[in-house]
Amino acid sequence: MVSIPLEERMRTVRFKVDDQPHIVVNAAVCAKCSVRACVYVCPANLFVPLDDGGILFNYEECFECGTCYIACNQEGAIQWSYPRGGYGVTFREA
Amino acid sequence: MRIAVCLKQVPDPATVEVDPLTAALDTRRMLYIAGPADTAALELALRLAGPTGQVSALCVGPPAADAVLRMALAVGATEVRRLWVPPFLSLQAPAQTALLLAAGLQRATIPDLVLCGARSSDQGSGQAPALLAEFLDWPVVCDVTQIAMEGDRVRVQRRLDRGAREELEVRLPAVLAVEANLARLRHASLPGLMRAERASVPVSHLEDLGLEPADLAFPTASVRAVTPPRPRTRPIFTPDSTRPAHERITQIITAGVTRKSGKVLEGPPAQMADAVVEFLRERGFV
Amino acid sequence: MALLSKEASLALVQQVHRLIGMKNGVAPHDAPRPRPQRNAPRPGAERFDVIVVGAGPAGSAAALVAARAGLKVLLLERGEYPGAKNVSGAAFYGSAILHDLIPNWWEQAPVERYLTRRVLAFMTAETSVAIDFRTTRFAEPPYNGFSILRPKFDRWFADQAVAAGAFLLNAAVVDEVLWEDDQVVGVRVRRDEGDLRADVVIACDGANSFLAKNAGLQREFHAHEMSLGVKEVLALDEAIIRERFHLHDNDGLAIEYIGAITEEVSGGGFLYTNRDSLSLGVIGQISSLAEHKRRPYELLETFKRHPAVAPLVRGGRVREYSAHIIPEAGWNMLPKLYTGGMLVAGDAAALCFVAGLYLEGINYAIQSGIAAGETAVAAHQERDFSARSLARYVERLRARHVITDFANYRHAPALVNSPRLQNLYPEIIAAGAEQVFRVNGGPKRKLLPIALEALRRAQVSPVHVLQDALQAGRSFGW
Ligand SMILES: Cc1cc2nc3c(=O)[nH]c(=O)nc-3n(C[C@H](O)[C@H](O)[C@H](O)COP(=O)(O)OP(=O)(O)OC[C@H]3O[C@@H](n4cnc5c(N)ncnc54)[C@H](O)[C@@H]3O)c2cc1C
Repeated sequence: MVSIPLEERMRTVRFKVDDQPHIVVNAAVCAKCSVRACVYVCPANLFVPLDDGGILFNYEECFECGTCYIACNQEGAIQWSYPRGGYGVTFREA
Repeated sequence: MRIAVCLKQVPDPATVEVDPLTAALDTRRMLYIAGPADTAALELALRLAGPTGQVSALCVGPPAADAVLRMALAVGATEVRRLWVPPFLSLQAPAQTALLLAAGLQRATIPDLVLCGARSSDQGSGQAPALLAEFLDWPVVCDVTQIAMEGDRVRVQRRLDRGAREELEVRLPAVLAVEANLARLRHASLPGLMRAERASVPVSHLEDLGLEPADLAFPTASVRAVTPPRPRTRPIFTPDSTRPAHERITQIITAGVTRKSGKVLEGPPAQMADAVVEFLRERGFV
Repeated sequence: MALLSKEASLALVQQVHRLIGMKNGVAPHDAPRPRPQRNAPRPGAERFDVIVVGAGPAGSAAALVAARAGLKVLLLERGEYPGAKNVSGAAFYGSAILHDLIPNWWEQAPVERYLTRRVLAFMTAETSVAIDFRTTRFAEPPYNGFSILRPKFDRWFADQAVAAGAFLLNAAVVDEVLWEDDQVVGVRVRRDEGDLRADVVIACDGANSFLAKNAGLQREFHAHEMSLGVKEVLALDEAIIRERFHLHDNDGLAIEYIGAITEEVSGGGFLYTNRDSLSLGVIGQISSLAEHKRRPYELLETFKRHPAVAPLVRGGRVREYSAHIIPEAGWNMLPKLYTGGMLVAGDAAALCFVAGLYLEGINYAIQSGIAAGETAVAAHQERDFSARSLARYVERLRARHVITDFANYRHAPALVNSPRLQNLYPEIIAAGAEQVFRVNGGPKRKLLPIALEALRRAQVSPVHVLQDALQAGRSFGW
């Protein structure tokens, strides 16, 4: 199968999940944002818009690429850093 | 207090990939870690030993397994040793690992306590700790969920089936096999990490341990053939045509699986409570 | 320098002076931002001659050069191993450069295939027109380029720095640089007792360049200056790869796709052959992805389903999916490249060359890494780590054609990301080619009327075309 759904594709990637999130999303700021660039640009689909206007964010399967904070036009919405040493994504072939 | 920890290097389950056609494991894509039960054992050892105690880590494995021992040094293990056998011997039985560990422990200053992970995340048979205790002729408690030191004794809690727990007291020296979720390993300090990276990991081979290949001749399972798993044919469920339509629809959407029937109690609360107690007593729960 | 036009060399000189002259390190086109707090190292921090942050190609090159000169070098990497967090296509065109550093490096390094065939394909939704270049001259040492897989290549390259005497520490994230007065004197790793001292810190921490920003050498990026690449490695039998791509042995090809492959999103696609897998992916400008609300992995799927791509990837099993950003604005986003006690190299300095048919970052990373390493060595010889002493980094970059390449091509990014070049011209080329090749019983027409008709139908005035041609000439031609 050359075409596969994202979830299956994500399973080919190794993540070592830290118990502390390396990205924190400010729900109050996101609720006021109408652009929501993060929802579209994230290559791992980690930003999910909620019915109540908020954004659900999971840091666990993050590629640490930085696209979300570069795309975000809301001051203070995304607090972004790399995970602690030894945690996060590990590519084996990329 | 002197504590020894046994660590095993295992493939990270997230990197174990099975070829869909041949059912072969793709070893080139595997990354190796110390399993979560082993790292819990290491963390507990560091906590129990305290700042003045000694924690040594042992690992039976090939040169690549130095990585888990370096990790142990980084978080504060005072001493590490890797144990290994010549290439013509392939280690298969947990008894072989346990014998090497026992020999390794006896070569150095005997610790007061040995901590192991209850189960490795690859084979997971959980036998090595018990066999190790047997070779050392020490007491052992497996599936440990709690540890408290009390002088030369340890109070431990052990997991039994169906959520039951057992409390035991063990005299030291002893072997304890701890469960994975007991403790999360600390993050190494920078000086710790650098010290570990610079350290050379000492290795003991069979002859250093006073053993011979023949000592490791335990009966092992041998692989005769490997058959890829075949998808199980699923019986197609056909609803019972004698039943009315709504029941057949229910049968279809539940795929014919019937739930265990429950019993709904009614009446005044005191009466219902009595019925519950009676139910439990009948089945020997209380 | 002889290749540089007069205008470009003037601009270059001005830019270099501006870079050197900047006082607080804030890039010129930036609104002033609050300066991050400057911390000093805690007493007792271990000391090195050089600390290199990031074991990508830039960092390993810098560490290798500095360690070979006998300096005490620490190479810090946040991944579990060098390359663990790194993604490229990857077609590596720096073979000759690396050959200077490590003779016959390809004999010991984990390379996939040497590239003898390069294809540039213009795509519409149904059509593709390609320029196919092939030469056996690229099949001879030192080779022109290789396909590589970064997690393997980076690990090997970092090991070369270690063999030269550098101390590699993985699983160490650097959060900030440390200061004494106006001089960078170390870094802080996010671990207990994480402070380290060094005479020179070389930031090779990649496209996000948090260290350059932390030191005030780089500004925040705009979404139009950065692209996101998403990529898959597809397992495919070696024999099938050879047959499908007409390869003899361990030779390989690199295809770049431009046009509708990313639909209306500004970007492109690539496909490279590895030994027993294919690397393919799409790249999209972040602002453009957001504007068109297109999800990158959906573009990847569209790409794989394109009638010209689907037969190439048929039967491939996805072995790994990955994503990474690319600094795209070239010259316009170069940071200040140094300050007292600190140099910036590779993607962290935005030294990634992206313009249509070019996607070259690894070779520039190695070039700038070498230049940074040499600058650190020279500074040690003179025991002078001031900004003035480290300024010679810029000269070294120029001598290695790094600065000059970026200056010469400074107009390319804007042109390449323009909608006409992104979608219209590929459309016109494809439509024109179709007219040329279609046989339907009508008269055979000459090329110019076909081209003019295609333009008319696309409602583009010949004036625009001429302007773009001039712009293209200025960007790529002269
Ligand atoms: C999809 C895609 C395709 C590409 N294709 C090609 C191609 O075909 N050919 C080509 O030449 N270039 C290509 N590039 C560009 C190329 O990948 C980069 O230019 C190149 O990787 C730059 O090397 P570098 O050493 O500067 O940075 P990187 O390779 O990004 O290395 C930075 C290193 O620093 C580490 N690091 C980062 N922050 C910290 C920190 N705070 N503390 C410690 N360590 C840190 C990272 O883990 C990493 O190892 C491509 C890029 C992408 C995204």
